[in-house]
Amino acid sequence: MSFFGWFKQRIRGGHSGSGAPSGSEPISCEEALRVVQEFLDGELKEVPQEKVRAHFEACGRCYPHLRLEQAFRDAVRRGCGSAAAPTELRERLGELLREAGRDD
Amino acid sequence: MADESGSKRGFAEEALPHLDAVYGFALRLSGSRDEADDLTQETFLRAYNAWDQYTLGTRAKSWLFTICRNVFLRRHERARRHEEILAVTAGPSDAIPEASNPLWAAVEGTDPEGSFFGSIVDDRIVDAIDGLPEEYRSAVVLSDVEGLSYAEIAEIMEVPVGTVKSRLFRGRRRLQQVLYAYAVEMGYVSGDALARETE
Repeated sequence: MSFFGWFKQRIRGGHSGSGAPSGSEPISCEEALRVVQEFLDGELKEVPQEKVRAHFEACGRCYPHLRLEQAFRDAVRRGCGSAAAPTELRERLGELLREAGRDD
Repeated sequence: MADESGSKRGFAEEALPHLDAVYGFALRLSGSRDEADDLTQETFLRAYNAWDQYTLGTRAKSWLFTICRNVFLRRHERARRHEEILAVTAGPSDAIPEASNPLWAAVEGTDPEGSFFGSIVDDRIVDAIDGLPEEYRSAVVLSDVEGLSYAEIAEIMEVPVGTVKSRLFRGRRRLQQVLYAYAVEMGYVSGDALARETE
């Protein structure tokens, strides 16, 4: 099951205010939302990834914000798609590199 | 392919597999297929000529992106870039303006998980990306499309990691505003356009 699918099953709309009750010091909603970009980018430095994950798992108010940011990123990735270099460019480049190799 | 002997050894295996990615990045930088062709070609020729400066096994993709962006900036944007940097770095350094995303409040009652993003056609998304200043556009594409780390983007864009974070934050916010406004206009989501944030 996907990460988000698992979330959906677990979340029933609760809003903890102080985050998930896992670990000794759960993070607040404010803290989780402050680092949501770094969390999705896999670039968290100040807060452990697991604490942020636990908060989003447990908090029904913050979870949609995470989903919204993810939906946005998915759209950007889809919009840019997988741009394939045109065949002509590929062939021309190959020829130029062959020429450059002969000159070396 | 060129003779793979001597100083050009490994070019085909390490650089050429990134041709599509470099072309995609060039396309987003320039917004034109013809120019993306030229940029990609020049990037690979420059990389080939400088291949002896590349350490085999390191991040060829990041290196190619760096060359591509530098070629692009040299061609078109050096003068404009200065003005953009002034605009981007104006205000309270690279501080992220605020934690709370105004889009969250705007869609909270109608589409809190942003499913409207899925209704927006690809061309409109590309147009919105192309409308970003280069500093934001490069950061967003390198992160959200190419999946590079902050450190890799910082190296490519020749700025500190904090500046990358700030540009990503602002670029994404701007893009969200534009796409949300379009979604409202098209009736994909109900609401009003968001107030423009600090530049």
